[in-house]
Amino acid sequence: MSELKENLKAQIIEQLSLEDLTPADIKDDAPLFGDEGLGLDSIDALEFIVLLESNYGIKIADPSKGREIFHSVNSLAAFIESNQ
Amino acid sequence: MEIFVTGIGAISCIGNNVQEHFDTLIAERSGIKKGSHPHSERFLVGEVPLTNEELIDRFQLKINGSRTGLLGCVAAKEAFSGHLLREDIRTGVISGTSVGGMDVSEIQYRSYMNNGTHDISKYKEHSSGNSSEEIALELGIDGFVNTISTACSSAANAIMMGARMIRSGALDRVIVGGTDALSEFTISGFRSLMIFDEEWCRPFDESRKGLNLGEGAGFIVIESAASIEKSGSTSLARLKGWSNASDAYHQTASSPDGYGATLSISEAMKVANLKPEDIDYINAHGTATPNNDLSESKAIMQVFGEQIPPFSSTKAFTGHTLAAAGGLEAVFSVLAIQHGYLFANLNHRNAIEETKLVPVTRTTKVETIRNVLSNSFGFGGNNSTIILGEL
Amino acid sequence: MKITTSSYISAAGAFLNGQQKFTFRETNWQKECYQQLGLDYPKFHKMDHLSKMTVLATELIYSEGHLNALMDDEPELLFANANASQHTDMKFIESYTQQGNPSPSLFVYTLPNILTGELAIRHKWYGENTFFITPQFDSSLFAERLYHAARKGGNWCLCGWVESKVDEKNKVTEECFLFLVALTDNTADRSSFAAALDELLTNYRNGNSGNLNR
Repeated sequence: MSELKENLKAQIIEQLSLEDLTPADIKDDAPLFGDEGLGLDSIDALEFIVLLESNYGIKIADPSKGREIFHSVNSLAAFIESNQ
Repeated sequence: MEIFVTGIGAISCIGNNVQEHFDTLIAERSGIKKGSHPHSERFLVGEVPLTNEELIDRFQLKINGSRTGLLGCVAAKEAFSGHLLREDIRTGVISGTSVGGMDVSEIQYRSYMNNGTHDISKYKEHSSGNSSEEIALELGIDGFVNTISTACSSAANAIMMGARMIRSGALDRVIVGGTDALSEFTISGFRSLMIFDEEWCRPFDESRKGLNLGEGAGFIVIESAASIEKSGSTSLARLKGWSNASDAYHQTASSPDGYGATLSISEAMKVANLKPEDIDYINAHGTATPNNDLSESKAIMQVFGEQIPPFSSTKAFTGHTLAAAGGLEAVFSVLAIQHGYLFANLNHRNAIEETKLVPVTRTTKVETIRNVLSNSFGFGGNNSTIILGEL
Repeated sequence: MKITTSSYISAAGAFLNGQQKFTFRETNWQKECYQQLGLDYPKFHKMDHLSKMTVLATELIYSEGHLNALMDDEPELLFANANASQHTDMKFIESYTQQGNPSPSLFVYTLPNILTGELAIRHKWYGENTFFITPQFDSSLFAERLYHAARKGGNWCLCGWVESKVDEKNKVTEECFLFLVALTDNTADRSSFAAALDELLTNYRNGNSGNLNR
């Protein structure tokens, strides 16, 4: 699980072109969306859909479901574990 | 100081000139269909059915640049036809574009990636400013040339700037509008944002899912009264109001309450010194994205209250031509005033539940149209409104 | 119209009113500048270089309290460059031609005027904003547009020249020049204003600490 989380952080940085950040800047339980965490929004949620599909083969048909899944690195990792 | 429209020109998937546009709008015939290029053949798009070579040949263009430049030259040339260059009429060109010479860059990029050959000189077409220079060159105008790039409100902002330059005394006459060619770049982009409808777009309909992309150019010639006295041009309409306001909400999404749009519409009416009941038709931005149409509807309701004028989006005819949209729709607004027509909002079935607003669904002849308000809203929260009126 | 404050940032450093504020050591000097300014705005890291530089150069003006006058009176935003969003355009083209997945978060920044949108969002400014493309910095165009802004009845205009250009050898050239203009001050005519503007930018580009009020 912790390896998956580290991979996820690197993939998030790559996918979203967050060249200022390193995996260490992203905390496992910090919210990814909204001004509290990484400041991501609906456009970035679309990137997460691409990320899940291309790296893990998981399709999310309804983007509105994404909010819960994409809440934090923890929730993303849990979702991937239970869907693989 | 009054500002007059003395020329109009248009090219899009529904026509190669203004008359063809008018006929197609009356016939309620959309120009959106399956594309004919590798990047567009899987989608419904509003393509101009002429290759670059055919455009140069048919319209006897002197320049050979990007498709954005060529389309711009065709429409600007039509708008300026019958006008003469004179030293005592300071004439400028202000054109809006969002993709510039992207079509040329795409071809160059591919050839570089595939076989490593690079024709760097071709990239000079990439610059957004190049298309405006080409238009000026085509028309033989060597005065003020400027390019505005504020996404889908570019042409409306070009019109606004032209009006101000006439009022400030910097110019006597300006060709203003916008041009954008369809490219893999924009198709990929709007698809990635998931606001690209693979079926016919349905502006202001409850079931709308997104836009259809189009290409084209629309230009108008605006002049001061003093300039007309020298040029002898015939006035077609008056440019009465303009405004731009920031939505300050999101990079691409419109605010849920349409605040920036509300500001833009009401400020343009103030500039035109008009009351809500003076507006006889609204040519809406109406892209058919869930977000824009709701936000724009709310802004219209804010400004007009219970007395909402007939409104429609003509984007189901042309597709969203991005930076050209405000130029084409300015031409449509002049046509509406000249001939007394409200143009159809095609593909509309059910009103948006939250607003219950019903657009004009059939092209309709009316007695008179005094003033038309035309909206153009761009990414970056850049909201513009212009108002054209009868003479 | 009168320039009340100006800032300039490039890889060489950050300047405010002709005085150097920071020098940069890192390749990612925009992140370094963000840290030096002590900003806490997570959205910053998502932005393209044009928006980043504009936010930073605006914060620089803010840091000295020069923008406080605008708190109740939003400025008009007038920005320009020569190459639009070319740097991000190239990254976006790569995302759909090489990786097969067009990136929505890159596409958002393939328009230069997103940077004025970013400023509007950050500072809740609802005023007019526009973006021009000109072959090079055109001081007389700014002077003309500032004159329009003054006629419209505005008090302030925040103007900028922001460039992020990548050449065929992948070399990136970047600079951001911001100047805040008091529209109601009529001490300078349009042509002397334009000349002063050109001189100011030349000084910044040459690394000279020109005195703004000379």
